[in-house]
Amino acid sequence: MLKITSLMTVAVLLSSCTSTIDQLYEKVAPRPSVVTDQQNLADTQESVIAADSSSFRPQEFSGNHARSAAQNSAARMAVAQLKNSNTKFVLHFSYDGSEIDESATQEVIKHANFMRDNPALNLRLEGHADERGTREYNLALGENRALAVKEILGLYELSSRVQVISFGEENPAVQLHDESAWQQNRRVEFIYQ
Amino acid sequence: MIRLLAAFLTFYSAAAFAVLEVTVLKKAEDAFPIVISPFLVTGDAKQGESIAHIMRDNFNRSGEFSASSADYVITSQVDFDKWQAKKVEAIVIGKLEQVSKKIFNVEIELLDVYSKKTLYAKKFAVHNSGIRRITHYLSDQIYFALLGEKGSFDTRLAYVTVANKGRGNREYKLEIADSDAQNPQTILRAASPILSPAWSPDQNKIAYVSFKNGRSEVFIQYPFMRRKTQKLPYFDGIASAPAWHPNGESIVLTLSKDGNKDIYSYHLKDKKLTRLTHDVSIDTEASYSADGERIAFTSNRSGQVQVYIKHLKTGKIKRATFVGSYNAKAVFSPDGKSLALVHRVGKDYRIALLDIATKDLMVMTQNKLDESPFFSPNGSMIIFATNKGDSGVLSVVSILGHQTFELTSKAGEVREPNWSHYSK
Repeated sequence: MLKITSLMTVAVLLSSCTSTIDQLYEKVAPRPSVVTDQQNLADTQESVIAADSSSFRPQEFSGNHARSAAQNSAARMAVAQLKNSNTKFVLHFSYDGSEIDESATQEVIKHANFMRDNPALNLRLEGHADERGTREYNLALGENRALAVKEILGLYELSSRVQVISFGEENPAVQLHDESAWQQNRRVEFIYQ
Repeated sequence: MIRLLAAFLTFYSAAAFAVLEVTVLKKAEDAFPIVISPFLVTGDAKQGESIAHIMRDNFNRSGEFSASSADYVITSQVDFDKWQAKKVEAIVIGKLEQVSKKIFNVEIELLDVYSKKTLYAKKFAVHNSGIRRITHYLSDQIYFALLGEKGSFDTRLAYVTVANKGRGNREYKLEIADSDAQNPQTILRAASPILSPAWSPDQNKIAYVSFKNGRSEVFIQYPFMRRKTQKLPYFDGIASAPAWHPNGESIVLTLSKDGNKDIYSYHLKDKKLTRLTHDVSIDTEASYSADGERIAFTSNRSGQVQVYIKHLKTGKIKRATFVGSYNAKAVFSPDGKSLALVHRVGKDYRIALLDIATKDLMVMTQNKLDESPFFSPNGSMIIFATNKGDSGVLSVVSILGHQTFELTSKAGEVREPNWSHYSK
């Protein structure tokens, strides 16, 4: 279950509270070249965040980041690593719902920050539904879930970097037929590209 | 339990593994008793047996007949009193005469056991390869002679099969078959989901949703022609839930061009897109009435998932379902008076029949997860997908409420059924 392990790692990394992310930025900021060391996955993921951290300020975003050649190459490598690592962040939804509550909104905002600090990364949002109800309705529902996430990212002017796709009930995360499986299958997957 | 599989292995050996198994579940208690005699054969005896066999299976599958054979060939000298005593109401007798290597003369007669009259008789020549097709046609004629309405035998099914290929990989196949599930052909294989196959009214095309390009898109395939599959133009967002206008000239579908899922009609020749719903909610799963004047569709505009009907001439939209908190994927009956739909009862999703005028809703099934209802072309049956054990099967229920037959695949799941109009 390597995939799930790495998924959880990222979930923790990206969904932990803002101060922790700040600390991460601070911690790795002085050594953007860490990427070239290519140690383990965890280091690589930290370095993804590090790659552009010099310009990070929580409250003042500027769309354009002036980056050194070294930073650019570090970012490129970080992106490549992130793409290959098949890391996912998953947001879950209520039955027939596509609303994002306050705490989940905070999680999505962290992704907005992360994306603004990593302009080379694009995000694919895959919306999914559980198996109950009709397939075509669920296809629409899955898109609504992904669009709800995109809407928040849009507030940070990230819309052009976010692609929305719905698979409805066709690609369940868990192929079982009970409440717990349904809960896990009603989701939006964040896939960085 | 009648298994259709064995009889045709000789004719369809290449496709035998893909054949769905047909299980007749239950006939109506007042099922019409009919005897279909073995045919009097000169020449290739197998063909003669196949006609009577296919016909019996057809009538038994309909749920409205109890068809049996006779243990000898009944000829024109029928002992009506004997059959009356056995409570048989009608008898089919026939002759098959081989006149050349591939040409047969077929003669068939339907007799009323009580009036002792001939209700239907036909004689013609047929090519070897057309015998199955002619048998379905004759079954429709006999059904009409006895019940005064058409059968649904000379028709085709389309459906999607899903097989697990291990390591999370699945193989999806879009298949078509005769109405008795025989003669199956795979017309599309894919590693990504295939949804919502829909026969065109002229039966030459099938519209469906494919994810082969990583998102849902609507395609039109020509299963009987050497013609390239056509992709509907790309509109941003999802494209899904295709259904044909009864004139075959346009397709109604769901698009989310502006993020808003609404129903559009796309004219295939003019390439013109017409928006049919304007609502911020989800509008999807549209289907036309047979006269093309109405569409039924699913919408959550009330906060619940319910079925609505739009009158295309007046533009008026009316809610059609009021019983229950979830009603979806409605299709019109051929006479336009009812809708078959998916209806939630407690935690279960079942097939229900809605009388549009009276708003009476009758739940037709007792399963947990029924989907994708579709009427047989004569309106007497509803085919739908359901779960049995851990696998998907197709099931057929008569509109009188009894379950008639089931289609299962040894290779995996069967889903997304669609029933064609009559063959041309």
